Amino acid sequence: MSIVAGCDVGSLTSKAVVMKNEKIVGSHIIKSKPRPQDSADAAMAGALSAAGAGPDDIEYCIGTGYGRDKILFVKEARSEISCHGKGARWLLPSVQTVIDIGGQDCKAMKIDGDGNVTRFLANDKCASGTGRFLEVMAKVLNIDIDAMGRFSAKARSPVTLAATCTVWAQADVIKYINSGVALEDIGAGINTAMAQRVAMLVNAVRPEGDILMTGGVAKNVGVVSTLEKLLGRKIKKTRKADPQMAGAIGAALLSMEQLNGNGRKDT
Amino acid sequence: MDTFYDAATRVRNKPILKWKEEGRSVVGYTCSYVPAEIFHAADILPIRLRGIETDGMDIGDTYYGPFICSFPKCILQLAGKGMFDFLDGAVITPGCDAMRRLDECWRKAGEDYEGILPSYFYYFDVPHKTEPHGMQWFVKEIRNLIDSVERHFDVRITDEKLKTAIRAYNQGRKLLQTVEDLRSQAEIKVSGTDVFAATVASTVMPRGEFTADLEKWIQSIKQNKPLKNGQKRLMLVGSISDEIDLVELVEKDNHAVVVAENLCFGARYESNQIPENGNPVQALAEHYLGKSVCPRMYGKYKERLGFLKDKIECAGVDGVIMQNIRFCDLHGAENALFERDLEAMGIPCLRIEREYGPLIETGRIKLRINAFLERIS
Repeated sequence: MSIVAGCDVGSLTSKAVVMKNEKIVGSHIIKSKPRPQDSADAAMAGALSAAGAGPDDIEYCIGTGYGRDKILFVKEARSEISCHGKGARWLLPSVQTVIDIGGQDCKAMKIDGDGNVTRFLANDKCASGTGRFLEVMAKVLNIDIDAMGRFSAKARSPVTLAATCTVWAQADVIKYINSGVALEDIGAGINTAMAQRVAMLVNAVRPEGDILMTGGVAKNVGVVSTLEKLLGRKIKKTRKADPQMAGAIGAALLSMEQLNGNGRKDT
Repeated sequence: MDTFYDAATRVRNKPILKWKEEGRSVVGYTCSYVPAEIFHAADILPIRLRGIETDGMDIGDTYYGPFICSFPKCILQLAGKGMFDFLDGAVITPGCDAMRRLDECWRKAGEDYEGILPSYFYYFDVPHKTEPHGMQWFVKEIRNLIDSVERHFDVRITDEKLKTAIRAYNQGRKLLQTVEDLRSQAEIKVSGTDVFAATVASTVMPRGEFTADLEKWIQSIKQNKPLKNGQKRLMLVGSISDEIDLVELVEKDNHAVVVAENLCFGARYESNQIPENGNPVQALAEHYLGKSVCPRMYGKYKERLGFLKDKIECAGVDGVIMQNIRFCDLHGAENALFERDLEAMGIPCLRIEREYGPLIETGRIKLRINAFLERIS
């Protein structure tokens, strides 16, 4: 059976997945390097090593993410929107609405039974509602980004961050720190601000059926739980694979479709 | 085609500079509601004012503030930098409120930057309705504009001269409609980027020169080999745009071709010929106000939707890209309505919000276009 791969070079992290028989046999994630090709090489080397395979074993590979057009070893590039749709369907077959919060932007999409995107919206305003927003805030609080997610459950009186702009929100956070507000309350406020931005986008696509979050922020329990409250719906969890890998998984699945002749005909 | 690209991508393009070298006047205007025929009749070159080639926003932001459409800000920026120093006049219109404010912002900037305000600076009002009183008002506005041009430039704009100008512009419209017909055929022989370059060029080139070049270009299009099969046929609509780069970005990678558009600088009303006999002022008013269905006009949504539907059917459009410049209320709101109604008819739509000017958000916009093309593939 064929071995295929997907490589997702994002603005914050780069991911690679090697699949065989629609099962992951190797994956790897790294912090993105300045040059997309370097990120892709490193991520793919890690995934191949985990799979016990070499570059020549890969029969088809699709690149995605912001660096998708700069990856030399892929056969074609696809948008991360299509890849996350496909990946989400693999992670949770019943999913109909996908929320992907990446480092640089946030997308809400609806997909059909094959994981094809039927409608999508992406944030057009600024960095608020993206992984970068959380990263900047975690740095200001001097905490690990994973720890921030847990703050929502521990907070007693979450602060309000009124500014949409990341820079102004950062100034607000510094003000709260200097005023002696508990870090948990500030962290919870940050998670809520993030969830509010995302909720607007999700509501705009009119979510239906099971909802799944992909991208790195899917692992932030504070944002997810607040988003559930704002949407009035549960967001499904999946243990099949790391939701941050959804784009790379989708790219690998699209590679499989291309290899089997079921994919997009090159125009 | 090189002439069209030069004219479409440079503010100080060759046809304008040549015209100036001949000692003739140039007047810039901001909106498609200004009858260019008036200036043509006075042997003045009418050009649409544009914001391309802007490399900063220090002047635009100073007078406008940050939370407003970047198109008029770019025009003001260029004016402040002296890029429009060839202008003998400027006509400002209330195409929208941001554009209307160009009148006061430019005047104010003119107090601070010496020599940036053309000696002829005129505010041309345009009603928002076409009911009889609106039309009467617009006719009066046109007459006032003619009087003003005659006085300032010491020229005489007779009815006969206006009729001659109308004939010259009708000829260009007829040819642009031929291009529209060619691009909408099943077998596409011309890219949307080339068509848009020609259409934008029509707004800044002397009409006679443009028409002659267009005639030759149409003949060459007919000889072209068809473009690659299987490309998605797209329509581009929304906020004001004269950016060739934007159409080029959509067509990059050869996965799509823009076969139709509904943009302020594009071909919209070319199928309408202005009557060449009778009262020319009335005829200009009936065309420029009466036939316009852009979203600044009240109560015309159904007409605009019908206009889009006709173009979509005629050009066999697979999907519609709706862009709006940030803070553009007119198109931002209308794009949402178009999306609702066109999607309900089974026509896929993509909405994009962006900044006007040098394509500073290429990656973000390209991602959305790619995803949209994948969606409709």
